[in-house]
Amino acid sequence: MSDVLTRLAQIISEVVGPDFLLDVEITRETTFSDDLGLESIEFVALADKLRAHYDVDLVGFLADMDIDEIMAMSVGRLADHIEMAAARG
Amino acid sequence: MAEVEARGLRFHVQTLGPDDGPTLVFVHGLVMDNLSSFYYTLAAPLAAKGVRTILFDLRGHGLSARPSSGYTPHDSALDLLAILDALGIRTPVYLLGNSYGGVVAMRTALADPYRVAGVVVVEAACGGIVGDLWFEDMVNTLTVAALGLEFDRTQDQLKALGQRKIARLAGNASELLNGTTLIDDLGSGPHLADLAAVTCPVLGVFGAESTLIGAAAELAERIPDCRLHVVSGLGHTVLREATGELLDTVLDWLRV
Repeated sequence: MSDVLTRLAQIISEVVGPDFLLDVEITRETTFSDDLGLESIEFVALADKLRAHYDVDLVGFLADMDIDEIMAMSVGRLADHIEMAAARG
Repeated sequence: MAEVEARGLRFHVQTLGPDDGPTLVFVHGLVMDNLSSFYYTLAAPLAAKGVRTILFDLRGHGLSARPSSGYTPHDSALDLLAILDALGIRTPVYLLGNSYGGVVAMRTALADPYRVAGVVVVEAACGGIVGDLWFEDMVNTLTVAALGLEFDRTQDQLKALGQRKIARLAGNASELLNGTTLIDDLGSGPHLADLAAVTCPVLGVFGAESTLIGAAAELAERIPDCRLHVVSGLGHTVLREATGELLDTVLDWLRV
């Protein structure tokens, strides 16, 4: 597991809360809506935490997708975007 | 900035776009809605066009605090103005309200006309007979929903089935409907705006098939500086289903 994916899994755990995640192992293939049951407002909170942690702004990335595409996204795809954006500085 | 303290409450607020340029505040709809309905639709494209956009969760909704009372549209208008104070924004702002948020936006324009440069109403009846009937219908629908959530313990059943997302939506809706004065406050009217007293420019956007389409004519009749745009083939879901057309209409109206 990459560093970004590990850290992303921790941040997701903070947003989702511990009660639900006990049975769910977060991998690259985990999806936000179906697997994690994340509400769209929680994804906003997640984007906030990622901006604070990585100084990566997700707004442009998300602007090209509608809400269904965003929530159906896998954790791996988000991790890839963060890695690329962080590498660009 | 994610948390803003206003009127003694913690509000979830997001800002997208430049610090200068025209400012537009989004106001979302009731109970199942929150700022995310704008975050994923209009906010980023408007921000990219140079508009400073402000999104907030109404009290009791989304990630904002859920006090036990204070849920009239006028209360929410005062919340909005207090959030602007807390953000240090003193220049007039545009407001865009979807559904019930349109009523809050119009009440804000009446509460402090000098701070509101213009209002975009998307699928809301802010006055007149259409508004009265709409409020009555909302109160009835929410009352039935509240009873169902309370007696079926819907969220517990969903949680047991591992349906986290729907269980949370049901749980939050139940706490808002059964744990606060929201339904009583909405039923205690009159809450609608005296449209003839609105002095700022207004853009009304409606779905041609919406039950609220009668409110469009009412806006045009009573508000001197009013522009209307009707989206063909849609009902109440203009924001979600005609996002591009709505965005173009708003940009043209804002002239940015």
